[in-house]
Amino acid sequence: MKQTSNHVQFLLVLLSVFLLAPLAGCWSSHEIEERSLGVGVALDKGKESMIEKEFDEQGGGYARKNLITSTYQLITPQVASSTTKQGGPQQKSYVNVSETGDSAFQMLRELSLRSDTPLTSPHMKVMVIGEALARSYSLEQLVDQSLRDNDFRPSCLMFISKGRASDTLESKTAGEIPAFRLSTMVENAYRTTRILPPMSLIKLESQIQSRSSFLLQNVVSANGEIKFAGAGIIKGKTNKMIGFLNEEELDGLTWITGKGKGGLVKSFDKNTGQLIVYEIESMKSHIQPHVKGNNISFDVHIESVGRLSESWMTSGGTFNNQFLQNAQKTSEKKVKHLVRNVLEKMQKEYQVDVAGFGNRLRIRHPRVWMRVKENWDQTFSGVPINYDVKLMIKDYGASGSTK
Amino acid sequence: MMKGSELWVMINSNDRITTPQATVVVINFILGTGILTLPRTVAEQVKTPDVWLSVILGGIIAMIAGVIMVKLSQHFPEKTFYQYSQEIVGKWMGKLFSFFIIGYFLVLGGFHARSLAEVTGYLLLEGTPKWAIIMPFMWASLYLIRGGINPIARLFEIILPITVILFLLVAFMSIKIFEVDNLRPVLGSGVTPVLKGIKTTALAFTGPEIMLIILAFMKEPHKAGKAVLVGITIPLFIYVITVVMVIGAFSVDGVVTRTWPTLDLIRSYELTGLIFERFDSLLLVVWIMQMFTSFTVNHYAASLGLSQLFQKNIHPFMYGVLPVIYLISMIPKNINDVFKVGDMVGNAALVLFGFLPLLLLIISKVKGRKYETNL
Repeated sequence: MKQTSNHVQFLLVLLSVFLLAPLAGCWSSHEIEERSLGVGVALDKGKESMIEKEFDEQGGGYARKNLITSTYQLITPQVASSTTKQGGPQQKSYVNVSETGDSAFQMLRELSLRSDTPLTSPHMKVMVIGEALARSYSLEQLVDQSLRDNDFRPSCLMFISKGRASDTLESKTAGEIPAFRLSTMVENAYRTTRILPPMSLIKLESQIQSRSSFLLQNVVSANGEIKFAGAGIIKGKTNKMIGFLNEEELDGLTWITGKGKGGLVKSFDKNTGQLIVYEIESMKSHIQPHVKGNNISFDVHIESVGRLSESWMTSGGTFNNQFLQNAQKTSEKKVKHLVRNVLEKMQKEYQVDVAGFGNRLRIRHPRVWMRVKENWDQTFSGVPINYDVKLMIKDYGASGSTK
Repeated sequence: MMKGSELWVMINSNDRITTPQATVVVINFILGTGILTLPRTVAEQVKTPDVWLSVILGGIIAMIAGVIMVKLSQHFPEKTFYQYSQEIVGKWMGKLFSFFIIGYFLVLGGFHARSLAEVTGYLLLEGTPKWAIIMPFMWASLYLIRGGINPIARLFEIILPITVILFLLVAFMSIKIFEVDNLRPVLGSGVTPVLKGIKTTALAFTGPEIMLIILAFMKEPHKAGKAVLVGITIPLFIYVITVVMVIGAFSVDGVVTRTWPTLDLIRSYELTGLIFERFDSLLLVVWIMQMFTSFTVNHYAASLGLSQLFQKNIHPFMYGVLPVIYLISMIPKNINDVFKVGDMVGNAALVLFGFLPLLLLIISKVKGRKYETNL
């Protein structure tokens, strides 16, 4: 009896020792030094790069339609190690690779035919879609692969680019990674009303599924520099881009949604024609839908508190309330102008609702919304909208005058 | 060596659990696959942002069913369902019911093992074969349940606080992408949509049925009612938080297209400035632990049932049901089949634990009264 238990014990110890061995390993692991980290991707209308053309001439290539050109921004092991070692003053810290084809996934996998460090995408920060592509293909189809993928994170930020999207992933500054620059620039929203709240891939999916129209931040590029310039309008019915709002129209839109975190209003005094700049400290908007029978209308109440940050007026002192009220009036007028401007653009030119009027109607009058949501963009373009703006200048900084 | 029947008696007499331990077993058994898929499955049914109301109502229904099961078990102190069902409806019917319930636990165990393999295979261990994920998981469970109900309950006591804290942490950190507009309007289309979701949500609370079995092991069986109510309330809170955060981030339209919405929620935000930027692995860790606890309960309940039906030592059954559960877990051919198995198990639970205990309770009350009047 005792002996058998000793045997069993010995066998158990032996088994445990064997079991220790697999603990050190990892099934189907890949070394991080042997992979390129994808940090950004730009989708453009198909146009083969010079390299790809040469590959094709030499017999490379496969059956495909050249519909989409994907440009992947990679941080390869070589680039990563060289920049850390030499400080990399002249070197680029990224590599851009373009692939042309018709399937997003196939293009991704084609990269494995061109590099010993294939792309891995769990660190994808941004996705930029070119205007030409966004106008001709539904976004739902363009991002389908990314949303299914287990590597690609749904937190990836989405942009539209007027022009070639791949150009926005270029930089002339040494050490700068354009994809990171883009994703961090979004955080400047507390400085300006011209940056939309960040639209991640998963939020985009929600927008697409809700079939309502929405905006994507527009990025333009020139000579390796980029700028946020307004927004692209995506029509909910087709999920294709139909046009742009410029920077001032985006200002107006932010006033309507009240989602701005900071920024300014530049206006000119009526009498003297001199410059007055109102800086936004906080803004609030309330969209009130009214339904009477079949008639829908909206009231927009905009309120904001801020300060006088720049004034070129020589007469009139800031210690005087009369002056502040004047400045307030001038700025209010400017905001009203911005709002009217973008409303006209939405209702008359594009006939889409991208300011969330439909959303307010959905919340306030769910049953009415069920009735009109199918053709909401159409209905919206004929809906009367009233608005009022109340600005409050709280202070005027360090300088004032009594004159 | 002790004889089988002696050992079986011993397990019943010395292996006891306290009331909080019973509560913890119920909580751990409830929290399983549902937490990852519930926002989608319920949004598909309800189609309005009122899903959280459905979750609360579903929880209340589960509580009623739980209390009925407890009342039934309290009629037969020291006995599990497998034993007392024969007293109520006769030997053969009782055995048949017991077999159904054992089958339920086996299939649910297979479902748990398979969903674990599906999720880890997709996100964590890409390329690792399913058997290599499921088998170590099963062996660990075997090791645990060999000790009886008390060690199981003690391990669960360690796992539960970790789960709750980490889960609440990762869920609340998604506040960054939360939009309250996605949860409005409340009851915009009336209560009908809410009612449509109740079946789905009630089935997410399957788990109190374990009271049919573990009540026999409780030191203070008269407190079992409290145990089952608290045991459902805590998962109820966790479910409501999950559903609110997921719908708040994705909206009802967005959530119905996501296979594992709760995982997507954690994958959809990054927090800079902390030590970690991403918290998917935290969620997966607590979720895998929860799957382990659920699986263990299934494994134990099925083995115990067989051992009590055949009046044999429980240990051979513990080994014996392992391959059965494994085979069941391998039956679904694709992910849709996996979800279908989940639905099937849910429907079975509705009959076995929604209606059957009530029926048995009525029968035993009637019988009991007859017995008393005869006296």
